[in-house]
Amino acid sequence: MPMGHTATEKAGSGGLTATEHRLANGLRVVLSEDHLTPVAAVCLWYDVGSRHEVKGRTGLAHLFEHLMFQGSAQVKGNGHFELVQGAGGSLNGTTSFERTNYFETMPAHELELALWLEADRMGSLLTALDEESLENQRDVVKNERRQRYDNVPYGTAFEKLTAMAYPEGHPYHHTPIGSMADLDAASLEDARAFFRTYYAPNNAVLSVVGDIDPEQTLAWVEKYFGSIPSHDGKQPPRSGALPDTLGGQLREVVEEEVPSRALMSAYRLPHDGTREADAADLALTVLGGGESSRLYNRLVRRDRSAVAAGFGLLRLAGAPSLGWLDVKTSGGVEVADIESAVDEELARFAAEGPTPEEMERAQAQLEREWLDRLATVSGRADELCRYAVLFGDPQLALTAVGRVLDITPEEVHAVAQARLRPDNRAVLVYEPTAADESADNDEEADR
Amino acid sequence: MSDATTREDLAMSEMTFHPQPRGGAPKPWAFPAPERGALPNGLTVLRSHRPGQQVVAVEVDIVAPLESEPEGLDGVATIMARALSEGTDRHDAEEFAAELERCGATLDAHADHPGVRVSLEVPASRLSHALGLLADALRAPAFPEGEVERLVRNRLDEIPHELANPGRRAAMALSKELFPASSRMSRPRQGTEETVGRIDAAAVRAFYAAHVRPAAATVVIVGDFTGIDVAAALADTLGAWQGSAAEPVAVAPITADDTGRVVIVDRPGAVQTQLLIGRIGADRHDRQWPAQVLGTYCLGGTLTSRLDRVLREEKGYTYGVRAFGQVLRSSAPDAPGGSTGASMLAISGSVDTESTGPALDDLWKVLRTLAAEGLTDAERDVAVQNLVGVAPLKYETAAAVAGTLADQVEQHLPDDYQAQLYARLAETGTVEATAAVVSAFPADRLVTVLVGDAAQIAEPVRALGIGEVTVVSG
Repeated sequence: MPMGHTATEKAGSGGLTATEHRLANGLRVVLSEDHLTPVAAVCLWYDVGSRHEVKGRTGLAHLFEHLMFQGSAQVKGNGHFELVQGAGGSLNGTTSFERTNYFETMPAHELELALWLEADRMGSLLTALDEESLENQRDVVKNERRQRYDNVPYGTAFEKLTAMAYPEGHPYHHTPIGSMADLDAASLEDARAFFRTYYAPNNAVLSVVGDIDPEQTLAWVEKYFGSIPSHDGKQPPRSGALPDTLGGQLREVVEEEVPSRALMSAYRLPHDGTREADAADLALTVLGGGESSRLYNRLVRRDRSAVAAGFGLLRLAGAPSLGWLDVKTSGGVEVADIESAVDEELARFAAEGPTPEEMERAQAQLEREWLDRLATVSGRADELCRYAVLFGDPQLALTAVGRVLDITPEEVHAVAQARLRPDNRAVLVYEPTAADESADNDEEADR
Repeated sequence: MSDATTREDLAMSEMTFHPQPRGGAPKPWAFPAPERGALPNGLTVLRSHRPGQQVVAVEVDIVAPLESEPEGLDGVATIMARALSEGTDRHDAEEFAAELERCGATLDAHADHPGVRVSLEVPASRLSHALGLLADALRAPAFPEGEVERLVRNRLDEIPHELANPGRRAAMALSKELFPASSRMSRPRQGTEETVGRIDAAAVRAFYAAHVRPAAATVVIVGDFTGIDVAAALADTLGAWQGSAAEPVAVAPITADDTGRVVIVDRPGAVQTQLLIGRIGADRHDRQWPAQVLGTYCLGGTLTSRLDRVLREEKGYTYGVRAFGQVLRSSAPDAPGGSTGASMLAISGSVDTESTGPALDDLWKVLRTLAAEGLTDAERDVAVQNLVGVAPLKYETAAAVAGTLADQVEQHLPDDYQAQLYARLAETGTVEATAAVVSAFPADRLVTVLVGDAAQIAEPVRALGIGEVTVVSG
């Protein structure tokens, strides 16, 4: 059965459009109408992430994100959560290397409430911020760190890989969760200074997507956000510039109580927003995305040396992106055996490039991932903010699929040759400690 | 305005505050009513057209309860489900995976207590091709010996990873503790090292032959069908699947021992304790279900619910604790054997090791206060507004709608169950919600599993008097 090159005629934009506006205080606003379901998504990206943090204060951007839910001038305590949920909405916030985002998805008739809430905290958070909420959220975030990283096998692998791939002193050397010591050290004054520096309307993009009346929405945005003063205290972030490649393999062996050996590695890849980044995404998909990829077929199906094997891409705009390989070994297989198999596959791919069938599969998979992201109003709102904040043009969100489909096999081949090589990676090897090997997991013992 | 202090003052003096806006009139929305039909081969079909949803979701429910796995072969349903996509009469395993990915499709299959579920997602324009692959997997799986053997080894390799995960380990320990040893519910859904090691291609083929047939299956298909002849696409693909008539599968009623007690799964040096506190309760056929959903939300549905209000937002003991009810298996009152279903009612989360005793103490105080004083009308109102109000958001994607429709089928519920649930939630009062949640989570009838450092947590937990404390190795 013949299949077209793209799954949709408009290559993913599905006929969506977006309009751009800017308030006098510098707040950029992106609106996109879609009346199929009576819901509206509000998304606010502040152009601040863990890359803006300074030595000794890692984790501050994320801790601060928690404080944004602790009340503002007209919103008491947990009111932000209570009001949104009470209106039938859902909400959250997240912090990454390059940005902090806050979002609400509302039944369409409750859109105005979400705008009012976001404006209230953008304009007046410090009137409500106190020592008590800082102490409480510091403990919550430390428990978040324990739950997601410290108390999970291999939980700190990403942190370790990042620290190797981006050198000491580089803004991406540490991850957004930060260190326990720095979380302990954060003071109320640090939090206040952080807000005053970064939480300004001219350092943010607001998108509203869904069943909206654009004129009415813009009038509400002007009403609630328009009087918040702009502020130019933000310093340009430290440069994330690095050579294209690591210039030599870095390696760390971790001996820990983990269930199996593992080989993980991080490759320096092109910056997000370039054709080369899209080409790298396709290369990683051919090599390690899904169950028809080269590494899956080699390690899991044929050699049977791995339980799972796959590549992921962390797209970054302000520093080289990161390609992350994760292989958990099967039974007693040695990491060296996995490593030589991986290197053979990388060398073969660098020599041959992708086959036409591999290109078709990789593009089809990335296309579906884009369709999934754009299938909800909140997904669309987030992507519009992303392209507005990181690349200055929200419209790029609506044409992203087309760009991935436009990449040629030659470009995929070229990026693989240049970047997916042993001298451009940080390697992390896990060797399980023998500690508990005698203990059968289901044996009971009274104590 | 470069002086930060000045800016704060300016912000205070310059920002114009407005009163909290009031919402407009809600726009009508209803949970989609699927069209129900059947193919000549006996396969039941539920379809729902969702404009704008370019990724179509297909769910196939196959009646093959874990309870019907042969003695000593726990995990055969899981291996069979996984093996469906490891080669067919038209493609070998690698080709099959490649063909699926050429459509931009994902295909997942897993086995749980009610049966086997196969889930396909694919862009609408490639639906027919992907349905053909799905049909091949169901109609003519090859179950090659080499592939089954590989899946068995792979599954054996996965087990240590699951045991190392505190959440998974807690769930296994709770099942083992709650259900009688003779019950399939007491044992891991995907089998143990011992049972999985016995599975081979012959066992997989036998399980397939006994359970997988169109007359014992339902397909749910949801998405934007503009320009697609869904009936023809289904007839050309799943319509070719043949099999004998379905025989009713009778399952035993679920029983559990919820005598209050504590099991600590020892993890020396763990920085947190994983909590899982549970018992069993009624399923969705019970009239109390909507009230229980409402009350459970008030207890622990979100970070402004009772548990997190104390454990997270006041004390900072946790990143979050949730209470929930999850149907294990369900059957209609008119099914052979009658209503035999149950749900797992549980509270789960993790707390730092040092706070384990104080956190459990507070958790029990929350339960006792709830039982003594009940919910407030304001709590009930907010919960109803949230649970009912989020429906249009929650069901924006085809996958979400298809998942719920397939759950309804699997649990022998009518196709309008979810739509009716919203109506019933809106009618449920504070008193009913209180009664339901208090009887769902009685402070003295809860089995507590703690995965954590026994040397540090056992004594403080014993001091709480929430039941006998047993320590097992991690």
